[in-house]
Amino acid sequence: MSELLGKVADLVWLVPLLPLLAAMAVGLRVLLGRCAGDAGEVPTARLSELAALGSLGLLLLIDLAVYWHGWPGQRVFATWFAAAHWRGQMSFLLDALSLPVATLSALIGWLVVRFSAAYLHREAGFHRYFIVLGLFLSGLQALLLAGNGLLLFLGWEMCGVASFLLIGYAWQRPLATGNALFAFVSNRVGDAGLLFSLGLAAYWAGSFEWPALFDAQLSLVDLRVLVLGFAVAALAKSAQLPFTPWIARALEGPTPSSAIFYGALLVHAGVFLMLRLSPLLAQLPDVQVALVVIGALTALYAWLCGLVQSDIKSALIFPTVFQVGLMFVAIGLGWTTLATWHLCLHAAWRAWQFLLAPSWLQLTRGRPAPPPRWLVRSQTLYTAALQRFWLDRLGIILLAAPTAAIARDVRALEENFIDRVIGEPGRGRAVASDRPLIQADGLPGRLLALLADFLQRIENRLLLRGRGGAAERLLREAGRWLVTLEGLLEQPRYLMMAVMATFVVIL
Amino acid sequence: MLKLLVFLPVVGAALLAVAPARAQLQWRLALLAALLALLLVGGLLLRFDPAGAAVQMYESQAWNVRLGSYFALGVDGISLAMLTLSAVLTLVAVIVSRGIPGGGKLYYCLLLLLESAMFGVFTARDWSLFYVFWEATLIPLFFMIDRLGGDNRQRAALNFFLYTLGGSVFMLVALLFLYDAAPGHSFAMHDMAQGGRSLPLPLQLLIFAGLFIGFAVKMPVVPLHGWLPLAHVEAPSPVSILLSGVLLKMGAYGLLRAAKTLPAAFQAMQSWLLLLALGSLLYGALLAWRQQDLKGMVAYSSISHMGVVLLGIAALNPAGFNGAVLQMVAHGLAAALLFLIVGLLYRRTHRRDLADYGGLYGLAPRFAFFIAFGLLAAIGLPGSAGFVAELHVLYGAYGRWGFAALALGIAMLVAAAYGLRVIGRFCQPAPAGATLADLTRSETVAASLLALAIVVLGVWPTPLLTLVGGSTARLAALFAGS
Repeated sequence: MSELLGKVADLVWLVPLLPLLAAMAVGLRVLLGRCAGDAGEVPTARLSELAALGSLGLLLLIDLAVYWHGWPGQRVFATWFAAAHWRGQMSFLLDALSLPVATLSALIGWLVVRFSAAYLHREAGFHRYFIVLGLFLSGLQALLLAGNGLLLFLGWEMCGVASFLLIGYAWQRPLATGNALFAFVSNRVGDAGLLFSLGLAAYWAGSFEWPALFDAQLSLVDLRVLVLGFAVAALAKSAQLPFTPWIARALEGPTPSSAIFYGALLVHAGVFLMLRLSPLLAQLPDVQVALVVIGALTALYAWLCGLVQSDIKSALIFPTVFQVGLMFVAIGLGWTTLATWHLCLHAAWRAWQFLLAPSWLQLTRGRPAPPPRWLVRSQTLYTAALQRFWLDRLGIILLAAPTAAIARDVRALEENFIDRVIGEPGRGRAVASDRPLIQADGLPGRLLALLADFLQRIENRLLLRGRGGAAERLLREAGRWLVTLEGLLEQPRYLMMAVMATFVVIL
Repeated sequence: MLKLLVFLPVVGAALLAVAPARAQLQWRLALLAALLALLLVGGLLLRFDPAGAAVQMYESQAWNVRLGSYFALGVDGISLAMLTLSAVLTLVAVIVSRGIPGGGKLYYCLLLLLESAMFGVFTARDWSLFYVFWEATLIPLFFMIDRLGGDNRQRAALNFFLYTLGGSVFMLVALLFLYDAAPGHSFAMHDMAQGGRSLPLPLQLLIFAGLFIGFAVKMPVVPLHGWLPLAHVEAPSPVSILLSGVLLKMGAYGLLRAAKTLPAAFQAMQSWLLLLALGSLLYGALLAWRQQDLKGMVAYSSISHMGVVLLGIAALNPAGFNGAVLQMVAHGLAAALLFLIVGLLYRRTHRRDLADYGGLYGLAPRFAFFIAFGLLAAIGLPGSAGFVAELHVLYGAYGRWGFAALALGIAMLVAAAYGLRVIGRFCQPAPAGATLADLTRSETVAASLLALAIVVLGVWPTPLLTLVGGSTARLAALFAGS
């Protein structure tokens, strides 16, 4: 029995794969048109639920195996791709950090899938929701269990895309799609940091694998740059300052998705990444101090804003950000075990709260507590809190508006200059009036036309083509001379002269 | 066997001459002769062993002992590929000639005589015999263009005849020089090759110049291409097929044979060959781009695509030679398809201007499809035989000159521009009230045969490469040191 359990860790690759397979199966059913009506909903929900349960069961078995066999550690399963000396591998790191968090996530995932089946009954995008949820669960497990940065990045991006798709779940509403875009773009900043650090890791450490990265003897300067990229990614994903505004806009999606993404799981991905990198962080006290400061500031910000929120989802999200900020403080102080515990407990608690949110009005009687007296008294602080410290607006003025202006200018340059110079299909003018179909536009087109005209002139003038070319004229001229010569030769006197000349030559 | 192959079409022509002059009967007889020839070539393909000797099925008889010329026939991989191409294209030409207006008897006789002469050129293993067959192709072609061509046919035929004859004179003089200079005084190819290789470079260059002029007129290489546009535009469609499909390849084939005889001269002239090849490539492509006349466009594009062949030969490495032979086959098929369809279209409408063919796709979809297919195949769309050929040539030329080979890409870009223009024009809405009879069954069969061959060779070029590979490797081995 215990030997069998020992082998179960070799099946860990199934954990991210199962939800993905379920999502693909659901997608296939949608494509084949097999899920019309209420009856079509049951297999979809059942498939997703089974996959989530399968992941959970597998993880639980692996956890059980840990009891006898110890932590499985780094497991390499396959080479994804290899080029020259570095390679991307399918490897999983199963240790005291990833296994508990992954198991808890699988549990919450399974519960949310069950909850959603009833919650989304007869919604227009029922099947779409479950496809995206499968994608998310798969990505999240890949992120948590990944044994290297590459696989983590893959899961990270899958989660990001799933989050984008679910915030824009009600795509008919412009507000929803706008918010989805806002959240997605904010997250891209973090993704850029992650990608940057992965590139540096491949370049400096020669590998994406976590253990190799931890063992690499990098100079402190290099290490600082490396960790900074990861830290930016973590801050963006966990909605720490200055990235906080996106999370308030991300609540646009269906409630169960808000619960799992922003209440329970995805918001902790940044924390998880920092915990994963804690061996590196421990060497960099200055980065730790920065994390403490950012975490504390975010906590303060979220606390102030949370005091004045008037709708249930916003009232929940700011405390969430507050707690996550505290986790960053803990990580900065080096209390990683505390942060891990905090993460797990907070995830479980907040998932329950978010799932309960739609029923809140029925559960509570009485009015919600008013903002505290001191806040109401300080006019500036109160307004600032209500306006969420204008971070949203600041982002738009400082980043979005200049970008849009630059884009406008570049577009104008494109239209007025580059397109004209290069030429556009369908806009060309006829090269010659007798051949209206031969058209050219732009500099290359004009050059082509000029060159072709030149060659055609050569062709017509110089080559014998039966159009009175120069060569033909010369030949005619020569022919006339020859005819004259022949005429002369036919006359007896010249004939005799020729014969005599021949004799002279012979003699 | 080879003798039988060479003289079978002559027998067919003789039979046709004595048979009653009923159009249907004549067509059937000609078809039978062409099919038999194709079957014979198929038999040769089966008997040929690509890994075996350089020249197989060799047979030689003294012809003129005092001069040292032999009636020697034999095939290697390159000539077999060309033989197959000629047999297939003759068959296609016969198929689409059904119901050709006037002069059926003379026409089929000439066509079969032409086939015989082409077989002779590709199997001859003696330069004098090669020259005789080379000249023999001129006579049927001259009469076919002169009797059955378009409005300008007399001038075109004369033009064609004078140009090629002028080239041949240089070739003859060069051959006599070679005969004189080479020890042994024999016209047999391998004797001459041995003699030629040992000649001093200046003499080799002189002989090379004569041979090259002869071959370059046929190929054609800019600036010796003057006969081609007129002849192609004026020739009747089946003759255009053979003219572009096989006759042009004779020039390239001769050049490949000459490479074996005069390697030092080829090496010395390599850069000039590159320049001429690039000149042909771009010149043909640009002029084709400028034509609104459909047939003229295809004619000029032929010049451009033969430039690819010359580029491959000039690279003087295995990939280049392979690419050149592949391109000979691929262009033979693609150009034949284009001339076939455009010629048939002209026979129906008597118009060649692209502007008159707006909406062809709606009127006659099969016409439009095959023209589009032919144009794309000529550009070398992946999946067509031209792609494999161009890739080989590009690889070979890149290995030799680096980025100079990019000119091939530019020429293909221009080719894509005029090809897509035609296709775009076809897809426009048709003018109201216009009608056009689509391809008949026999015409569709002929066009499909060509299209199928293009696709099969494009997807699965291995058989052709194996067939040709042994011969080109031997040829490239002569230049391995450079």
